[in-house]
Amino acid sequence: MTDFIEFGRTWMPFLLEGVGVTVGLWAVAMVLGFCLALVLVWARVYASKPLYLLATLYVEVFRGTPMLVQLFFIYLGLPEIGIVLDPFTAAAVAIGLNSAAYQAEYFRGAIQSLPSGQMIAARAMGMSRFQALRDIILPQAGRRVIPQWSNEAIVELKYTSIAYAIGLTELTSRAEQVGYQTFQFLEAFTLVAIIYLVLTGIVAQTLDFVEKRTRVPGLTNSGGKMS
Amino acid sequence: MSDTPILSVRNIRKTYGGIEVLKGVSFDLERGQSKIVIGPSGTGKSTLLRCINLLSPPDDGSVILDGVTVEQKGINQLRAQIGFVFQEFNLFTHLCVLDNVRLAQRNVLGRSRHEATRRAMEELERVGLADKLDAYPAELSGGQKQRASIARALAMDPKLILFDEPTSALDPELTGEVVQVMKELANAGMTMLVVSHEMGFAKAAADEVIFMEGGVIVEQGPPSTLFTQPEHARTSQFLQMLTHEHHET
Ligand SMILES: Nc1ncnc2c1ncn2[C@@H]1O[C@H](COP(=O)(O)OP(=O)(O)OP(=O)(O)O)[C@@H](O)[C@H]1O
Ligand SMILES: [Mg+2]
Repeated sequence: MTDFIEFGRTWMPFLLEGVGVTVGLWAVAMVLGFCLALVLVWARVYASKPLYLLATLYVEVFRGTPMLVQLFFIYLGLPEIGIVLDPFTAAAVAIGLNSAAYQAEYFRGAIQSLPSGQMIAARAMGMSRFQALRDIILPQAGRRVIPQWSNEAIVELKYTSIAYAIGLTELTSRAEQVGYQTFQFLEAFTLVAIIYLVLTGIVAQTLDFVEKRTRVPGLTNSGGKMS
Repeated sequence: MSDTPILSVRNIRKTYGGIEVLKGVSFDLERGQSKIVIGPSGTGKSTLLRCINLLSPPDDGSVILDGVTVEQKGINQLRAQIGFVFQEFNLFTHLCVLDNVRLAQRNVLGRSRHEATRRAMEELERVGLADKLDAYPAELSGGQKQRASIARALAMDPKLILFDEPTSALDPELTGEVVQVMKELANAGMTMLVVSHEMGFAKAAADEVIFMEGGVIVEQGPPSTLFTQPEHARTSQFLQMLTHEHHET
């Protein structure tokens, strides 16, 4: 045990330097995924048939193929048609595009779980569709989606480790480097697991806090229903 | 000017999936008048109300509100002048009572926060909910919800209010408080078009009763005559059925 603590003292700083890359990658991917998800959900819930079909195709493709294939497609495949991305950008784009598909589905579920009468009541008072979406649908769907969104954020945080496959020096790849330098793989990957646990714990707790703070009687989340 | 009707419905037709639900409905509503619409289920009563503010645009015919034709152009400003009270209340779940009553005032009428609050408080006081400003809809009883939704409609200063079975979703012991508020409104001169089988309201506050069946107005007249000496056999049959239902429950 004391050996492990000593090991941690020595190598933790080196590992922690990877936290910046991992969290940065995650944050960029989540923001990209969120923005794209808003477009997708609009297309899937409110837009015309062709846009609906396009968005549906997008969601199915990204949910139905392995993340690693998507990453290789972007990092190794796209250069063939002249699109060359550095590993960080390629990973952020791949994870972001993938996450958008899932986030969009969660948003859609939340929107469609809302009773339609409130939209009608808003329109009946002369509110525009935009106003009703902004002031009624979004705040309600937003509250309902937090638990699923939190889950998605945690999944994506862990997914950042696949960037290792295209040579990005993030957390997991640093742990591997430590392992090869010390031949103490068990300790190295235990340390990195602890770091991931702390990070996902922070994300889960933060969103849990947000959920509790914004909770409103009668607007319970639809959590658990989606798979 | 004040002798032109505030609402004039002219030969409204509406077809859903090949079935003509409204087959040419016409009537006028004078300023300060209350009319109640009765009729069997599926007759097009709700459709009629939704045609008036174009929630479901009619296929044919016209609606004239205080001399202005109700059409898609500028519809939001026209809808702001037509209150709508729903059977299921449709309060905004995530907003407290006060915000429910303020939202459209701010968005549609462009009122300041201060002005919207003032009007909201006046109307909430009027419906007896001054002590529930901070409550969320889920924390209210059915009767309180409906009174809040009436306050929400009133705060827009509408030229008339449409009610679609405002007491049908309520437990029987809660209908009284909503009917009471509606009677007070009618007596205070609000123009109202009410779809309801609430005889208490009809007898006490309605100036006229419209009996609809099969997408047309079968007959209309003051409650005193229509309820006691209906012209059409269908009307008296329907009224008999209503009284039976009331005795049973
Ligand atoms: N949006 C719609 N799409 C298709 N059919 C509709 C729609 N709205 C109403 N209808 C049909 O139109 C007919 C009249 O419906 P409406 O709701 O106006 O009747 P109602 O008189 O209000 O009945 P109730 O007393 O049950 O409320 C019904 O047959 C209904 O199925
Ligand atoms: Mg109806």
